[in-house]
Amino acid sequence: MTAEDAGNTDEVTAEDAGNADEVGQTVDPRAGLPADERALLEAFDRLQPQGTVRWAFDDAVRRLIESPDTHGRPAGWGGLPADLWERGRGTKASERVLGDVVKIVAQDVTEYTDRAVKEALTLSADALTELRVAVRDAVQFLSARVELLESSTDPLGLQAAALDLPVVDVSAWVDAAPGWASRRADLPVLVGELSDDALVSALAGSGATVDGVDPRGAVVWAADAAFDVGSGPIDITFAEVIDHLRTLPESSRGCVILSGSVDRTDLAGKVALVDEARRVVAPGGNVVLLVTDQAAWDASLDPVVRDLLPGRPLHPETWRTVLALRGLDESAWLRPAAGSVHAVVAEVVR
Amino acid sequence: MSGIHLFVPMLHVRDAVGEHTRTLRDLLVADGVECRIYIETPDEDTVDETRPYLEYEDDALPGDVLVYQMATRSTMVKWLRDRPEPVVVNYHSLTPFTYFAPWNNWIARHQVEATLELRALSSTAALGIGVSEFDAGELRASGYQEVAVIPVANVRFPPTPADPATVAALARRAGDGPRWLSVGRLAPNKAHEDTIAALFVARATTSPGARLTIVGSPTEPNYARALQRYATRLGIARSVDFVSRISDAELSAHYASADVLVMLSEHEGFGVPLVEAMSHGLPVVAYASGAVPEVVGDAGVLLEAKGPRRVAEMVAALLGDEARREVLVARGRSRPHELGLERSGSDLMAALRAIADRSSGVTGGSNQASPLRPGAPLSH
Repeated sequence: MTAEDAGNTDEVTAEDAGNADEVGQTVDPRAGLPADERALLEAFDRLQPQGTVRWAFDDAVRRLIESPDTHGRPAGWGGLPADLWERGRGTKASERVLGDVVKIVAQDVTEYTDRAVKEALTLSADALTELRVAVRDAVQFLSARVELLESSTDPLGLQAAALDLPVVDVSAWVDAAPGWASRRADLPVLVGELSDDALVSALAGSGATVDGVDPRGAVVWAADAAFDVGSGPIDITFAEVIDHLRTLPESSRGCVILSGSVDRTDLAGKVALVDEARRVVAPGGNVVLLVTDQAAWDASLDPVVRDLLPGRPLHPETWRTVLALRGLDESAWLRPAAGSVHAVVAEVVR
Repeated sequence: MSGIHLFVPMLHVRDAVGEHTRTLRDLLVADGVECRIYIETPDEDTVDETRPYLEYEDDALPGDVLVYQMATRSTMVKWLRDRPEPVVVNYHSLTPFTYFAPWNNWIARHQVEATLELRALSSTAALGIGVSEFDAGELRASGYQEVAVIPVANVRFPPTPADPATVAALARRAGDGPRWLSVGRLAPNKAHEDTIAALFVARATTSPGARLTIVGSPTEPNYARALQRYATRLGIARSVDFVSRISDAELSAHYASADVLVMLSEHEGFGVPLVEAMSHGLPVVAYASGAVPEVVGDAGVLLEAKGPRRVAEMVAALLGDEARREVLVARGRSRPHELGLERSGSDLMAALRAIADRSSGVTGGSNQASPLRPGAPLSH
């Protein structure tokens, strides 16, 4: 780039090329980025598998298979495909099921390995090698079972975000929301998904600090611009609501208002949302579910989208039952004056 | 007859190191040099042109030179270090393990081991050859005494003609907006997510109809899947195409059909796609990391920061300025010649012959007129 071409300070001149190789090595490429751009990129980081049960399990299996003493030895059973470990990674929707299965797998392997170690003390080298191969095979069989379960929980590998979902109309509850949040006005209120700017604005207007979260990039980007995020009482995070809830400390929010995800996730996902919401709301605060009327849901959604979503809305009374089963005994069903979104409000008592 | 033999952990087709190795083999054989490729792990696509490396012990002849193509770890390194023949390390850059650690602990550990192997070979290697000054710097930092710079030998001149059927298919798919292209393995150091984020911003601001095609094999499956999920979450999955396992002619069709190559990789030992794009007359916007600045020179837009908003703006500015784009395209077309890529093969052969001559005691040895190009002499 010649000097006259370099009309922008971001561009590197040819003379800089000699040391530009250090740019990617020593400088954080995200340093100095505005908050909204950082948030956009950090959303990708949250897709990294490191730290998940699945990641640790795969790593342990690899270490077992690649241990120096067994490297290169023929397996006693060779039925699994070579790319077993590269396929069928867990999606968020199936993580809970997987977690349970992996726990069982881990117990099996632990018991098996403990026995193998004890027996090894009395075995010859050849017998020990056979035992190692058997352990390896056992782990591969167990892992294959995980793969099968995983594929059955999400056979199409769909993400709800890939489907064209209608925006949940929560306008009927804009006026009521500040009241729900006022019970613990000393703490921020979490709004998980950003269905309506008016709801967030009403909360902020009442003096609340608002922690918004949404998994749709375009919604977050628009909200960032609309709410002047970073300089006011509103913060917006680009993430799945359940993932964001899991990052929050216990009793750190005065109120949690959930919509969207509570309708479309499967029952396990719904229960996880309730459990996490209950955990992060401080005693005296409210968990609020804005849930779509079942008939309206069926009528409003494209049939393909409706069929492929992992879940559908629960009836408000069913929600109250679920809440009670998860420790939120005191809840109320509020019918909307207009529209098709009900509110189920539960106070957190510990 | 003694020979110059090539060692590579795995020989892949449509892979930068694999194609470089095969090209070098073909050049040496065409020049009358005995040359075989030895591998650690067979690839079914190339199994007929390789031998297990331990078989070399039966094939060895006095005067042989062994060339190790290094880009990852291999059990053959310890074996090579103990061989009596002179060993040349043809270095293709090791991706720092930190890029892989969040995605694949297994690969990350391999990269750590590879770094140790690179150092281990430095004490016995007759020569280290980097494919760029950037890589040569890493060789020197790893303890190599004799280091040369010779670019990759597998860039085709002239470029492979574009496949007409693919060109037509891409034209049918194209909308009104600019067509971004990114070429490179789906590996974390390539930072394809930054390109996707920039496309997202471009579509929200400057170029609502912009589309992106990413051509590259899914080296790290977790990362590859995350890229697709990321595009979905951003709501632009239908505007991002992932393409892999295509022929040279099909790749040329992508270069011919795109409006701009956007490459935001954070660690590049050379960057073959940059040269390919420039050869095809495609303007380049790239992040100035690794060897990218020395490869692109003044023939593209180099960025020292790559926030998505900035990248989107720079791409839009370039595509909106016809005169500037023409200047960069013209410079790009001559860039491969400036880099001397058409003579890389002969330079590489000359360097290897010099090592062979030196080890067999031919008068002059490496003190003869340097087989390496001016400006990249053996350095001590």
